[in-house]
Amino acid sequence: MAEAAPIFLDYAASAPLDPRVAAIMVEFLNNYALQANPSSAHAPGRAAAARIATARSQVAALIGAPPDSIVFTSGATESVNLAILGAARAAGPGLRHVITSRIEHHAGREACRQLEREGFEVTWLRPGREGFVETRQIVEALRPDTALVSLMHANNETGVLNDVDAVAALCRKRGVVFHVDAAQSAGKVPIDVAASGIALLSYCAHKLGGPKGVGALYVCRRPRPPLQRLLFGGGHEGGLRPGTLATHQLAGFGAACELARSALVTEPARVRALRERLWLALQAAAPLWRNGAPEPSAPGILNVGFAGVEGESLLLELDGRLAVASGAACSSATAEPSAVLRALGCSDLAIQASLRLSLGRETTAMDVDRAAGILVAAVRRLRAALPAGALERIT
Amino acid sequence: MSGDPIRYSPRVRDLFTRLPGTQAIAPGGGTVVAGEAMALERGAWVRFEALIDHGRFIECVFRAWGCPHVLAASAWACSEIRGLAIDAAGAINARRVAEALDAPAEKMGRLLVVEDAMQALFAEARAVQSR
Repeated sequence: MAEAAPIFLDYAASAPLDPRVAAIMVEFLNNYALQANPSSAHAPGRAAAARIATARSQVAALIGAPPDSIVFTSGATESVNLAILGAARAAGPGLRHVITSRIEHHAGREACRQLEREGFEVTWLRPGREGFVETRQIVEALRPDTALVSLMHANNETGVLNDVDAVAALCRKRGVVFHVDAAQSAGKVPIDVAASGIALLSYCAHKLGGPKGVGALYVCRRPRPPLQRLLFGGGHEGGLRPGTLATHQLAGFGAACELARSALVTEPARVRALRERLWLALQAAAPLWRNGAPEPSAPGILNVGFAGVEGESLLLELDGRLAVASGAACSSATAEPSAVLRALGCSDLAIQASLRLSLGRETTAMDVDRAAGILVAAVRRLRAALPAGALERIT
Repeated sequence: MSGDPIRYSPRVRDLFTRLPGTQAIAPGGGTVVAGEAMALERGAWVRFEALIDHGRFIECVFRAWGCPHVLAASAWACSEIRGLAIDAAGAINARRVAEALDAPAEKMGRLLVVEDAMQALFAEARAVQSR
């Protein structure tokens, strides 16, 4: 008998390609007529360009943006880099200050570190224990020379949602460019950039059931933030991102956004209910704790710590049965504890004992119940081998 | 959440899956000795208990918190210690454990904690024997 596939609870890392999206991409890959360079003036080129225009509209609609405000990129990492490096470098003379947080994704953190190497001063805001960056902190950090504020919408490890609408309103009032990393929230919760006044917003396809290797940066048209390109080449994407557009990838991205947008009415509530069902079922493995506030949050992410448990052992215990992410990155040889959980005030031991469980489109109640059963059994087995006193000490 | 995944040898996987040596020591003749080492910052906490009688380790069990290599190393050490003469047990060290388990170099720090626990066990066994 074939071994059952592991229950996939790692949607925050990457969602499986939606079969409906895959079908559209295959259609493009198999259709000779759609494989011309979309910048070409001939009929096949125009046909490819028309399909890209459709994709652009679909991608824009997901966040309430006009299509001409979308710059296609290779993914959220590139979008975030273009937004942070591009906006800071293009800011006027004397604007050499950037505000961000300690719990940004690597893409945001490393882009800001690069700005520090270039002589910018970066204020690294520390979130509270619940994982939020408060608007008040932005107010206090803003300076006359602030060029950019960059924050995540949903944190990739805890799912906690920052109030980006409030920060956008503040930044607009103060004339400061505001970038939102929405890789974990676009398509998971409603976003309306037109209403909020966000200047720049990064997102990508593969968190939504689209293909890897494609993303977008929303660039507000009015007022248009100053932005310097990172790559040099042709004049694609309004001169901000040169390179021949990948028609099949963009068609897949567009389709994924369209599907996500149509599911926004029902899917967040369904996934949120499953997440809470999972949290409830995991109480059988108490003592345990939740990292980050339960709400407001991206509906599919649950970050949970199990007292007395070592993360790498738990991951191996689950190997082949559950696909999840460790809070400690200790399944890798680098064993670097999560900077996000550390910024929330978690001890290294608590980080070691934490797992991120992320649910999505294909997750069912049966998956959640089975996953909880597997997790509870795994935690109990590891705890059974603990030295006396370890359960109380490892938290 | 990045970096190269750690590879586990078949022996580590087998020992981790079965965790032999985590049962309690059965009541019987002899003296129970223990050795423990804890270095939470290095990711390991190990306690060995052994039954000694007539200069030999009759039984050896463990309790541990740590990565799969720590648990597998502790289980492997128990199986090696069982039946050994107390005077001969000192030869088991972290390097031997690493070789037996084909452990990656970055795990040596944790295996040294296992060695520290073994050394503590051996020291107590020798002390009891010499009384």
